[in-house]
Order: sequence, then C-alpha cells, then structure tokens
Amino acid sequence: MFIKDLSCISAQETYHNSVFTDGVKDIEDLKIWAQEPDYKDIIPAGMLRRMSKLVRMSVATAGPFMEEHKNLGGVIFGSSNGSVDRSMRFLRQIIQYEEGTLTPTDFVQSTPNCVAGVLALMGNITGYNTTHVNQGLSFESSILDALLLFEEGKVSQLLLGGGDELSEANYNIESQRDLYKEESIATSTLLRSETKGTLPGEGVAMFVVEAEKTKESLAEIIDVDMIHHASKQEVAEKAVQFLNKNGLKPSDIDAVIMGRNGDVRTDNFYDHLQNELFPEQGIIVYKSLTGDYYSVSAVATWLATKVLSGTQLPSECIWKPLNNQPKTILLYNNCEGKQHGFVLMRGVYSSTSSE
Amino acid sequence: MAHEELELKLKTQIIKYLNLMELEPADIKTDAPLFGPDSPIDLDSIDAIELSVLLEREYDLKITDPKQGKKVMASVEKMIEYIVANDKA
Repeated sequence: MFIKDLSCISAQETYHNSVFTDGVKDIEDLKIWAQEPDYKDIIPAGMLRRMSKLVRMSVATAGPFMEEHKNLGGVIFGSSNGSVDRSMRFLRQIIQYEEGTLTPTDFVQSTPNCVAGVLALMGNITGYNTTHVNQGLSFESSILDALLLFEEGKVSQLLLGGGDELSEANYNIESQRDLYKEESIATSTLLRSETKGTLPGEGVAMFVVEAEKTKESLAEIIDVDMIHHASKQEVAEKAVQFLNKNGLKPSDIDAVIMGRNGDVRTDNFYDHLQNELFPEQGIIVYKSLTGDYYSVSAVATWLATKVLSGTQLPSECIWKPLNNQPKTILLYNNCEGKQHGFVLMRGVYSSTSSE
Repeated sequence: MAHEELELKLKTQIIKYLNLMELEPADIKTDAPLFGPDSPIDLDSIDAIELSVLLEREYDLKITDPKQGKKVMASVEKMIEYIVANDKA
C-alpha cells in the first residue's frame, strides 16, 4: 500500500515539520509531553471543549485530510491505552457518587475507539472502522489490517493512524511496572544512558494510504510482521524470514529505523539485530526525540516516509551514518522486549521495486 | 444564599461541568437561552445531560421528566428559580 499524505504531533515540532529546519528540542523531564499546535484554528471550540488530549491530537492531524481526500473508505487506528485519564476520571466518579448519575463526556472520550469514531463522524466515513489495542503492536496490527483490506479490494483509500496520550494516570500505572527512568535526564542522553527504564512520551501520526500507486504517492509500505516472546536470535531469524518472504535479504536494506529507547534491559535486541544482520547499514533512531509509548511505531513510519521522500534528517536521528539516500527501509521496534514488530518500506521510485 | 451569589456559583459550575474554558461567569447572560439558535453559547443534548448531573450532584435535584428538564434548563435564571423553589440554594 502507498502513503499519500501524513501528519504527526509529537514532542518535537513535527506538526508543521519545522523539526527538520529549526532542529531538535532537547527536553529534560521525567515525561515527554507532546508539543500540541494551537487548536483554535484547527478544531471548532464547541467540539474542542469535550475532547480528550488523544482525540484532539488525532483530530488535528487527520482533520485536514477530510477536506483534501474525498475517497476515504474507512478508518483504522492503533492505540493501546486510549484516553486513560478520562477512564480514571470516570471510574473515580463511580466511586465518589456511589454509582449515581455519571457525566457522559468522560465515558465517551475514554475508550481507544473514540478516536476512529470521531474521525468517521467528522469525515462522514461510513465504511470500515476499527481500532487495534494490542499494546506495543497496536500500530503494526493496524497496518496489517489495512494491507488485508486492500488485498480484498473493498476500498481504495483509508485513513490509518496510531497514537497514545500521556497522563498522570497512565504514568502512575506504568511506573508500578518499573518501565520508566527514575532520574530526570535529557532526551539527548536517553539512548546512551545505560540504565533501566525509558522516558514516556505521547503523540499521534496519521496517514492517508491507498491500494494503488499514484503520482502523489510518497512511500510504499510493503509488508508488516510481528513476533511475541522471542529470544534475540529468534527475532533475528524472524527478520530474515520476513525479508525473504518479500524477496529481499538483509544486505538489500539501506537503513534500519530502530526503536531504541535507552532501557538497558531491552536495547540489546537492537544491538543484536544490528551486529548480526545490518553491520554495514545506516541506523536511524527516534525515541530520543519523542519518548516511548505503545503506538510510537506510527512516528517511525512517519519518519521513514519523510526519509524515503527525500527529507534530510536531523543529526539526532542518526545512530549510525547512512551510506546513501535510503530506498528500502526496515523498521524494527520492540515493546518491553516482548512484542516485536517489523515494517518494510521503500521509496516509490526505488530501483528495487518489484513492479 | 443571595441571588447574586447563587448566580455566580451556578455559572462557575456550568463552566466547569461543560468545560467552557474560554468563558468567564460574566460571559454567560443570566436570562439568555442556554439552548437553541438564539443561545449565545449554543449548548447541545450532551450538555443537557451534563447540566442535569450538575443539578443532582451540586443541589441534590434530580430531573426525571424531559419536559420539566427543558423548562428548568432554559436559562441560568430558570435554573436559579428551580433551585430556590426547591429550597436548595
């Protein structure tokens, strides 16, 4: 499938793309909050006042697509947590008011599928509407869903996205699982911190994807695959198998976008993959810009599309220098060393195209 | 409670419950309609539920008849009248 349009809100200024011109912002905090745009010019005030952060970030990124792309046949969104903050508020109200009358807004804004529902209503997209919530593979599953839907030939254009929000509620919950750094560190030092935990982030990336290549196509998502609870060697074997399935071998890959997050307990999966399969390739990283969250591979896909369509990356994204302008990119991300996702992408005018 | 005091309190609660963050209490006209085309703040059906929750939680007043709700929530002035009439001010 082919990416026709894209938009992203993250901790960097990705919404207006000035991260590529004005540089990367170094953030020193325990939580990496999204840099949200001024919504007043994007979302009507009457709608904005009810929206959770995840919904307003999603509407701001996907809203302009509704005007520009009139053939959207469905919405597929990946979000592990939805709007946890609203869920917690709703649950607290149940206790506080002893299961009495509850306000509807917190409830309807709390579920992950609220995003896809709001977008469908806004764009009058009455077709396929699904939300994938399987933790660190939420966005990879969304990609798979879109690829299968295109394969069935039922739609020609879809809205595809992934995002999660950061709140005190989910920070407190996930902290109990020892996922985050205990010390405040600068994002610029995150990936070489060599301590346990990462920095939690938030954001949304949205794409208009199509079954067929057009002159407006920016990049192609060739395939996606996943593996759970695997050893480092099994992950490497899975990567080779995935590439072989698509007629490629590791040496055909120009660059790998890796989801290193500075957690010494799980970054060794990336080290192993790099050393075993991609010792010569350029390595791109991004979680030092955005923090980590369950659907963050949507940002990696956004970044890959930028690279494949010729955008020069900031030096902060380069873990190992690129040998040339990448034409074929492998994305690899693992969530807590348990869920491993692969996405294979290439530039639309790549010489390795099988067309 | 004095009328002015109740008016300010209720408007502050309406802003909080409906998340009308761009408004100050003074921006909500006491006698202006809360709903419909003539309403300056143009509330909708979900707001009506939020207002009924407000009345129940803050004033222990439960609205069960939709027709009654339409009259009670016509304006801030009507809401004040309802609260005072039920001795909940």
